[in-house]
Amino acid sequence: MLEVYRQYWRINLLTTLEYRTNFLLWFGFTIVYHATAIVALWVMLTTFPSMNGWDFRNMAFLYGLWMTGHALNATFFSTIGEIPQWIRDGEFDRLLVRPLDELFQVISTPGAIFPDELILAIAFLVVAIAANHLVVTAGFVALVALVVTGGALIDLSIALLISTVAFWFVQVDALRWIVLQLEQEFTRYPLSIYGKGVRLLLAFVIPFGFMNYFPASYFLHKTDNGLGLPLAVGMLTPAIGVVFLIVAYLCWRLGLQRYQGVGH
Amino acid sequence: MLVALEPYVQFALKAMAREATYRFEVFTSIGSLAVRVYLLRVVWVALYARNAAPHGVELHAIITYSAVALLMGMILDIDQTSLLHDKLHDGSIVVDFMKPISVPFYLFADGTGEVLFHAALIVPSLALALLIVHIDVPSVTVFGAFIVSFFLAYFVGFFLNFTLNCIAFWTLEISAVQLMLTWVTDLLGGGIVPLLFFPAGIQQAIVALPFASMFSTPLLIYIGEIKPEQYAQYMGLQLLWIAVLAVVATVIWRAGARRVIVQGG
Repeated sequence: MLEVYRQYWRINLLTTLEYRTNFLLWFGFTIVYHATAIVALWVMLTTFPSMNGWDFRNMAFLYGLWMTGHALNATFFSTIGEIPQWIRDGEFDRLLVRPLDELFQVISTPGAIFPDELILAIAFLVVAIAANHLVVTAGFVALVALVVTGGALIDLSIALLISTVAFWFVQVDALRWIVLQLEQEFTRYPLSIYGKGVRLLLAFVIPFGFMNYFPASYFLHKTDNGLGLPLAVGMLTPAIGVVFLIVAYLCWRLGLQRYQGVGH
Repeated sequence: MLVALEPYVQFALKAMAREATYRFEVFTSIGSLAVRVYLLRVVWVALYARNAAPHGVELHAIITYSAVALLMGMILDIDQTSLLHDKLHDGSIVVDFMKPISVPFYLFADGTGEVLFHAALIVPSLALALLIVHIDVPSVTVFGAFIVSFFLAYFVGFFLNFTLNCIAFWTLEISAVQLMLTWVTDLLGGGIVPLLFFPAGIQQAIVALPFASMFSTPLLIYIGEIKPEQYAQYMGLQLLWIAVLAVVATVIWRAGARRVIVQGG
C-alpha cells in the first residue's frame, strides 16, 4: 500500500510538471483567493482598530491557522470531495471490485496535486506568528503543529461525512456548499461575533471553531472565547479531530455496506 | 430592424430556459445570499460596536451598502460570455462563424438571457434579506440614478468578461483567471468593503481602475455618498470605461477570430 501511495505522489508531481502553465494559473488562483480575503480583513481593521478585541495581527493568525489546517487536508485528501460525483457517474463501483480498501483508493486517485497551497499557508502562518510576537519555543511549535493537524482532521471528517451522505442521497451538492461557506467565510472572524446558535453550531456540531478560533484564543491569551469555556479547550483540537474522524469513518463504513449502486 | 433582432431575442429566451433547468444553482444562490447577509450584519455590527462611524458612514448605511452589493453581485458576478470559452473549448465556435449571425451579438443575447433569469431571483433574495437586515430606501430620484448607474456597471462588466473570454482564443484554459477576476472585482470594486475605507493612497490607485465603476459608483449613489451634482462626473467615468473596454474587446475579438483553432482537430 505504501508503494502504491508513493507511486501516486510520483504521478501527481509529474502531471504538475507536464502542465506547467496550468499549474502556474492555479497557483495564481490560490494566491488571489487568499490575498483578497486577507486584504479585505486588513482594510476593515485599518478603518476600525479591532473586532471584539481582535486586531489585524490577531485576525491574520486566526486566518493562518485555518488556512494551514485546510491546506493540509486539501493537499492529501482533496479527492474525498469527489466521491458524490463518482457515485452519480457509477465510477465509484469500480473501486468496490478492487482488492484494496475503498477509502485508500479514493485518497490515492491521482490528479495534478502539488503542495503549493500548503507551502503558502505555512509561510503565512509563520509571518502571522512573528507579527503577534508570540514566544516561539519547541513546545509552542509542537502545539501549533498538533492544532494544525487536528484542524486538518476536522476538515477531513466533515468532507468524509458529507460524501458519505451521498450513499443515501445522491445529490449532496447543496449540503456541501452550505458547509463550505460556513467553513471558509465564518472562520475568518472571531466566533464571539455570532449569535448563540451559530456559535454552538461552529463549536460542537460542525466544529470549525476548533480549527482556528479556540486554539488562537489560547495562543493569543484572549480573555474569553465566546462560550465562557476555559481557554485551554483550544488545545482539544487534535482530540476533537481524532474523535470526529472515527465517527466519520464509522459512518462511511456503514454507508459503504449499505451501498447498492445507483442503478446504472 | 425588428426582423433582424428576432434571432437574438430567441437566443436570449433560450438562455433563460437553460438557466431555469439548474434548480440546484437557484437554490444555492438564494441560500448563499441569506448566509452572506447574516454574516455582513454580524461583522459590521461587531466593528461598529466599540468604534465611531468612520468617514461619517453610519452603521445602517454600511449595512444597506453591503446588502445591496450582495444583490448586485447576483448579476455582476455572472460571467455572461462564458459561452464563448465553452465554444472555443469544444470547437463549436466554427459552426457559429458559418451562421448568418453576428457572433458577438449572439454571445451578448445569450448572456443577457442568463442575466435576466438571475435578475428575477433578486426578488425572493431581497425578501429573504429583509428578514435579516433593514435596508434603507432612498428617494425616487436617487433610486432612479442608482438603476441607471447599475445598468452602466453591467456593461462595464460585460466588456471586461468578454475581453477575458477572448483570451481563450490563445490559451484555451481560463477558468482560473475568470474566478480571479470575480474576486478582484468584488474587492477592488468596493463590493466587500467600501473603497472609502481603503487607505488614501491605495484608494486613489483603485479608483483609477475600471472595477470601481462596477460596484462602488452605483452603491455610493444609493447610500447618498455621491451627491446628485456629482452624478454626471461619476456616470461619465462609467461611460468612459465602457467606451475604452468596448474598443479593447473589439480589437482582441478581431485578432482572436482570425486565428480560430480547434482543439484536438
